[in-house]
Amino acid sequence: MSPRTEWIRGIIILVVLSLLPLIFQNPYTMSILILLFLYAYFALSWNILGGIAGQLSLGHSAYVGIGAYTSTVLFLQWGISPWIGMIVGAIFAAFAAILIGFPCFKLRGAYFSLATLAAAMILQIIVENTNNLLGGPRGLEITLLKDAPWQFQYTNKLFYYVIVVLLFFSVIGVTRWILHSRIGYYLNAIKNDQEAAQSLGVNLTRYKSIAAAISAIFTAIGGTFYAQFVLYINPEKIIGTNLSIQLAVMCIIGGRGTILGPILGAVLLVVSAELLHLYMGGKMIGLDIMLYGIILMTVIRFEPQGIYVLIRKFFNRFTRSTSPFRDGRSS
Amino acid sequence: MSILIQSFLNGICSGSIYGLIALSLSLLFGVMKIINFAHGAFLMMAMYFTLWICRYLGLHPQLTLLIVPPSMFAVGYLTQRFLIKSIYEKETAREPIGVLIFTTGLWIFLDSLFLLFAGPDAQVIKHGYVNQTLVLGDFIFSYTQIFGLLFSVLVGFAFFLFLKKTKTGRAIRATGQDREAASVIGVNSYRIYDISFGIGMAILGAAGALLLPLYSVYPFVGDVFGMRAFVIVVLGGMGSLSGAFWGGLIIGLIESVGAQFLPATFTEALILIIFLIILYFKPSGLFGLESE
Repeated sequence: MSPRTEWIRGIIILVVLSLLPLIFQNPYTMSILILLFLYAYFALSWNILGGIAGQLSLGHSAYVGIGAYTSTVLFLQWGISPWIGMIVGAIFAAFAAILIGFPCFKLRGAYFSLATLAAAMILQIIVENTNNLLGGPRGLEITLLKDAPWQFQYTNKLFYYVIVVLLFFSVIGVTRWILHSRIGYYLNAIKNDQEAAQSLGVNLTRYKSIAAAISAIFTAIGGTFYAQFVLYINPEKIIGTNLSIQLAVMCIIGGRGTILGPILGAVLLVVSAELLHLYMGGKMIGLDIMLYGIILMTVIRFEPQGIYVLIRKFFNRFTRSTSPFRDGRSS
Repeated sequence: MSILIQSFLNGICSGSIYGLIALSLSLLFGVMKIINFAHGAFLMMAMYFTLWICRYLGLHPQLTLLIVPPSMFAVGYLTQRFLIKSIYEKETAREPIGVLIFTTGLWIFLDSLFLLFAGPDAQVIKHGYVNQTLVLGDFIFSYTQIFGLLFSVLVGFAFFLFLKKTKTGRAIRATGQDREAASVIGVNSYRIYDISFGIGMAILGAAGALLLPLYSVYPFVGDVFGMRAFVIVVLGGMGSLSGAFWGGLIIGLIESVGAQFLPATFTEALILIIFLIILYFKPSGLFGLESE
């Protein structure tokens, strides 16, 4: 695609994004729109480690938790702005990612998933048992300040919308940069055949650490955003295994290693969960998770590379020359 | 001191059941290289089966051991045959990642299915047998504990004999060592996979039936035990079945003796931390034969 069409596409996307809040003016639909972008952002963050590097993390909620708790504790204890807390949380998350990943970067597949799962569980237990500083199992409430943009709070939801859209594009930008850089090629090699990549001189621990750290940084920033948006965090919701699995599921069903895939997966899951809540109300707890399970099993059974690849195959059948989707390479 | 010994003995009793859970996982994960993340969910299913059989058929809790393992065998056999096999066929890697993802889907599906139909409350068996105790000198045991210990050792031992002596058992070991080579000498490897998965689930069913009188059952009970089973398998050494059993005992001991010094939730964290340490320093496990 030429730079010119790239520009035109960019402008179209910007216009659409600025019109969306006008359509979704009431606070409820606006919240869903924000959550949609946030989950797409989380799925893209997970994708950097789980998709591009092929390391299936089942403990990403740990980084969401680190981000959310760091900024919240700094704010509640010492009045430090969550904007600064967000950066501190991101740094903590990067170190945590390397620390968690380090033991199993030399090992294959399932070990990494298990270690990340265990690490998130450990963090959840620690948070649930630290009552004074972290609020224990009941969680923490963030003091309501109403309109205080420097403290990451605002009554108008448009404030959060603009921030989440910016975050969303920053993770897309970084993903594209990784995909087209040397690191991206190394990670792709590691994903396809770890032993072969190693024998060609790719330093496994180093590149997996880089992917894990970048992924954790973005996830933690999303955690801070979530805390400031909802103004309440608790360990089960934010560090629990459910969230970890949700983040992985969104990316996997959409399409690991691509850019549009995780976005597609997030839209599918958030919209279906909201529709279920709307029509079922509180009657059937767990129905959305059950649906995730069914979708995940179906996708893996019929198209392990995800729905995005399925759609692309479908379109390629009509447009034989070039695919209309260009972003990202499917593996 | 006698409290410490009591908790030590309690640890051995519950550890033997953990060993059984880990043994069934080890058969799938270590020997057959099927990464079954739904293991805990299947255990939860077996516990609910046991509960319902006791409650609605009015059977003695010990008699459920005649019904639950065979029905779990059927569940496992059919799951492998109709769900996992087709994913396995597509992949050539030795530890297929597709199966890992699929069983994760199965795990959250089963958890929420039981949440929907059985409700979120923790439930226990109400039966006179559950409360019977045995007093030996200074120590008190419940009958269910002692029975659990004896029966798990028996099942474990029977399973070893089965693997060593029978034709199917040898075929399972051969397929685990080298799938292609086993096929060459006439082993129908996919049938062996179906049977192994079934046997793994049957052992898990026995563990579930033994566990229920000691614990309450709720839809997410499998998450704790499933994770613990993976910890034990890695601790005992990948592919080492006896290692899984010893690993189970160690975890049982850490849990019950640790509970004397630490809050219960921290022993859970301690077990997970030990898991990470083992992964880092000795990924082949304490009783592992080969290094990975």
